[in-house]
Amino acid sequence: MTGAGGPILRVEGLSGGWEGEQILRDVSLDVRRGEVLVVAGRSGCGKSTLMGYLIGLAEPWSGRVVFDGRSIWESPEVLKASRLRWGVTFQSGAMLANLSLLENVILPIREYTCLSEREMELAAYSKLELVGLSDFADSSPMEVSGGMQKRAGLARAMALDPEVLFFDEPSAGLDPVTSAQLDALILSINRSLGTTVVIVTHELASIYAISDRVVMLDTEVRGIIAEGTAAGLRDTSTDPRVLAFFRRETGADAERGG
Amino acid sequence: MLAVAGVLDVEDTEYLRSFLENRRAAFLDAGRMELDLSAAPGIDTVPAVLLFEYMGSLRRAGVRTVMTNAPELVATLFRTFERNESRAGAGRGMHGLRHHFEDLGEAVYGFARTTVGLWFFFTSTMYALFDMVLHPRRIRWQMVLYYMEQTGVHAIPIVATLPWLLGTVLGYQAGYQMSAYGAEIYMPALLAYSITWEIGPMLCAVLVAGRSGSAFAAEIGTMQVRREVDALRVMGFDTFSYLVTPKLIALFFVMPFLVLLANTAGVLGGLLAGGIFLDMPASIYIRGLSEALIPFDILWGMIKAIVYAAIIANVGSYMGMQVRGGPADVGRATTSAVVTSIFFVIFADALMSLLFIHLRPGIQL
Repeated sequence: MTGAGGPILRVEGLSGGWEGEQILRDVSLDVRRGEVLVVAGRSGCGKSTLMGYLIGLAEPWSGRVVFDGRSIWESPEVLKASRLRWGVTFQSGAMLANLSLLENVILPIREYTCLSEREMELAAYSKLELVGLSDFADSSPMEVSGGMQKRAGLARAMALDPEVLFFDEPSAGLDPVTSAQLDALILSINRSLGTTVVIVTHELASIYAISDRVVMLDTEVRGIIAEGTAAGLRDTSTDPRVLAFFRRETGADAERGG
Repeated sequence: MLAVAGVLDVEDTEYLRSFLENRRAAFLDAGRMELDLSAAPGIDTVPAVLLFEYMGSLRRAGVRTVMTNAPELVATLFRTFERNESRAGAGRGMHGLRHHFEDLGEAVYGFARTTVGLWFFFTSTMYALFDMVLHPRRIRWQMVLYYMEQTGVHAIPIVATLPWLLGTVLGYQAGYQMSAYGAEIYMPALLAYSITWEIGPMLCAVLVAGRSGSAFAAEIGTMQVRREVDALRVMGFDTFSYLVTPKLIALFFVMPFLVLLANTAGVLGGLLAGGIFLDMPASIYIRGLSEALIPFDILWGMIKAIVYAAIIANVGSYMGMQVRGGPADVGRATTSAVVTSIFFVIFADALMSLLFIHLRPGIQL
């Protein structure tokens, strides 16, 4: 949380994919300290695959992911130490269904610290209050709505005050109001705590509302085709694929128009 | 006076704890503790909790504590802790005796509810089955055949092997005991009765409950979690005729023959034991069998099989249908499908044994 502007996370020449099919080819990317970076693109362009590599779920075929100066695959210790410093929220919330919301938030605290039971609960309550769920601490994830599950997922990701927060499709399946509330929450965490935020999404409203910078991926290029602010890409880009995305045009319109 | 310089983060927790504990006596003596945060831009939640609890414990011991120059973020965090202080560590965990009584009551209530629920489920299934007998075109034969293959054909190796092994062991042990009285000639009769009356059908039911009852519960339970059952319902499907009756009909067809197989394998096991351990010629063994057994013995095993099939298919499906939560619920449903099936199978077996001794010709009471 010190200084702003320098890269906290670097992707260098990364290639990868699933079961032999290449989805990303030679992707390079910097995530700057304290920014809100959106990885955008149409369905199937490799956004979630890239996210998987960023958070260290799989080792890339080639290239490196460098967190705070060290490649995360350098050794298992580096990977574990890096994981301690970032938080991830998944598309579905991914709350463990047999634990209460409070116990879900306690999970990482129990794993990584030596706090007593009461201290852990106090820390977890403060995180649940941050996302407005302290009254639902004892509820099971199955008893609360989808939006609440995502907020609880955010509380769990925030449990150890990470330096980087990753979000996979935070607004998927949420109504516009809930989605906007979640965006505001993400933004307030970024602004007040200085947490770096990386979001994978294709929701235009979210992108305009919270992004400092957008990188756009494309299926055919298997990599990044544009980078800039959301408004900048919309107004000044000449790439038909970028314009089609930001102006919500169909592919045919884009081909004719641009 | 305690001053923090720089950001305290999670990795400092352990050091911070021992540091604070070492200074506890000094603060208690002084009767005053001051935390100066003028040089600390921020504190992570975990070390902050530690500081908060430490200051709280000092206050309770009569020490005056103050926090000075706290950045807004840290002050907010401490206020959050104060608001939630009463909730943390309260109301959970063990309550001693009361807790155990609650558990006991819940278990008894749970058993009663399962029994009543199963009864209603059973009547619904039987109604759906009756409806199908009247309208045979509604039977989903493709699914019935699929489940016959899963529960029957694929069960043949284990249903043939285990009773055969058990028959061998039983034949050898019975023959060994009986030979002490020169009564080994009655070994075939003993084996014939114990296998066909009891062991064959029972072992078969336990194997089918373990293989297929659990599979039914897991299949329907997973469908519940993924809301596929709701999807079927809104498409207008009768969930009983789609999910339950094909399994039931398949087991009705398959289980009597599995019992027949288990009986045959068990009796052949006895033949082996007689030949190897007791020097009993096969012709003597077979004559012993044919003098002891009557067709009713075989038929009774098959009738038992149909009752067991109804129990296993119903309990497995019912437990699957009860799944409401997530993946852990599917595991619980699978376990209770097997345990409850076996419980009711043995219960039904006890009742049918009473009936049997009245019905079978040749038994003098």
